[in-house]
Amino acid sequence: MTTETAQRRASTAPLISARGVTVKFDVARTGKQMIALSNIDLDVMEGECVTVLGPSGCGKTTFMNVVAGLVKPTSGSVFIDGDEVSGPGPDRAVVFQDYALLPWRTVFDNVRFGLEMQKKLSDGDWRDRVQNAIDMVGLSGFESSYPRELSGGMQQRVGLARAFVAEPRILLMDEPLGAVDALTREVMRDEIGKLIAQTGKTVLFITHSIEEAILLGDRIVVFKSKPGEIKEIITTGIEGMGSERNAQNDERFHELREHLWSVLANEAAAASK
Amino acid sequence: MTISSATGIIHIDPDRRPIKTSNTTWRIRLTLVILAFLLIWQAAVAWFKLIPSNFLPAPTEVSVAFGELVVNPNFWSALAFSLGNMAVGLAMAIGVGVFVGIALGLSPALRITVAPFLWLLYSTPKVALAPIFILALGLGSASKIGLVFLLAVFPVLLNTMEGTLTVSPSLVNAARVYGASRFSVGWKIIAPATLPFSLVGIQRAVALGFTGEILGEFLGGAGGIGHMLEYAAYKFLMDEALAIVFVMVIVSNLSLGLISIVRRKLAPWDTDQKGM
Ligand SMILES: Nc1ncnc2c1ncn2[C@@H]1O[C@H](COP(=O)(O)OP(=O)(O)O)[C@@H](O)[C@H]1O
Ligand SMILES: [Mg+2]
Repeated sequence: MTTETAQRRASTAPLISARGVTVKFDVARTGKQMIALSNIDLDVMEGECVTVLGPSGCGKTTFMNVVAGLVKPTSGSVFIDGDEVSGPGPDRAVVFQDYALLPWRTVFDNVRFGLEMQKKLSDGDWRDRVQNAIDMVGLSGFESSYPRELSGGMQQRVGLARAFVAEPRILLMDEPLGAVDALTREVMRDEIGKLIAQTGKTVLFITHSIEEAILLGDRIVVFKSKPGEIKEIITTGIEGMGSERNAQNDERFHELREHLWSVLANEAAAASK
Repeated sequence: MTISSATGIIHIDPDRRPIKTSNTTWRIRLTLVILAFLLIWQAAVAWFKLIPSNFLPAPTEVSVAFGELVVNPNFWSALAFSLGNMAVGLAMAIGVGVFVGIALGLSPALRITVAPFLWLLYSTPKVALAPIFILALGLGSASKIGLVFLLAVFPVLLNTMEGTLTVSPSLVNAARVYGASRFSVGWKIIAPATLPFSLVGIQRAVALGFTGEILGEFLGGAGGIGHMLEYAAYKFLMDEALAIVFVMVIVSNLSLGLISIVRRKLAPWDTDQKGM
């Protein structure tokens, strides 16, 4: 684990680099603009997992959509490996909070969806790749099930497999466990931690769970709302991911949790004024 | 269920599937209710003579009339006339309804422009337009096809529009993330997401279209089972009239059943068998 992390930190140029990202939305009701994101600067190194924590409505999803190329920033830019983002690309895949599975497709056909859109079904081994991704997230045997036949946690496993099979360099996860029940949530959090560590992907993981932010993140970016800005960036400084991290580093974990609690509580108090 | 994955052993509880209420019990009950109803009817008319049989013939008389009907070639040509008009009117309603419904669902500008006219036409009791159709399109098939179309097009159009409007934005985003073209988004996301809505609309359209056809035949012309029914009633042949009504019930149920099968075939994921 130590050597792996050392390797990660070895690369110096950031893989994702956000510069002055500002997003304004027109509010139809008032005819004015609201500032969803204001002047966000953030660098994410190759192989790093950055968790984004913040109260609901502070612009986390908007930020991820900008990185994904789904939303154009009003000003500022995001660069991937030095190239400015102008739309979605095969270097990035997204895991959605509401799973975003196609209800008319089986698990297998949902997982292959990304490859299909990227016109990679002519690759001879695509079936094996899809099957491997399904096995990796623990859904072997459910290939021909429809999403409605699966629990929320299992549906998000499909969402994970669909993202992994496209072999992106960057995984963008928008509160992937937000709609999953509490017990499954912890199990899957640890599994996602292991998958990230195993595959060495660069990850932007959005959450409003303090525990998830600490247990998965190499760094934690805390957002504040009105307007959406970065309030604080914390390096967790703990090795390992998921439950491993919890067990081995009780002290640092509790310290971080306490700190983040007070930051978010202040933020919530300020927001409600 | 226990599964071993690359990341260790996990436990997964398969989702509870909805428990199906027994179909056979329901069928047996329905059959019994119908049998009891026929028995009371038979008793009231034929055995106790509570109702004069020239007003309401007994089920036995109706079934005799039904037997005569099905060997009468005029009946079959009338049925073919009615079903033919219905098929043409419905095909037009489905084509126009799906096309306009998708266009309206996709374009807010079009919705705002067309919505007032659509609402005006939708809120008009369309049956009131029937005499105008007869006047404008004559006594033949055209006026009937027009009425079928007018009654059937709205459920298809409105349901399709609702389907297109309610496509989850995150499904569209999921497609865009993997580089889907506009065409792919339309064909692989919007079309299948809209299909179950259109099919529900089509099912309603079939029932309404049948009403339109029969109504058109009542109002004018000399063809179709609606006209045959009117003529039988005019001649006070109540047994034949009821036999024809019975045929209409069969036709209606067969066509609705057919659409149900089509729905299950084309949209098996749509378990929510909402409405008709
Ligand atoms: N397409 C949009 N149009 C208008 N306002 C939007 C849109 N998307 C998001 N917003 C607004 O921007 C703010 C930030 O939203 P979001 O990024 O979804 O926050 P979060 O994910 O942190 O909960 C919210 O106030 C939301 O209402
Ligand atoms: Mg969000």
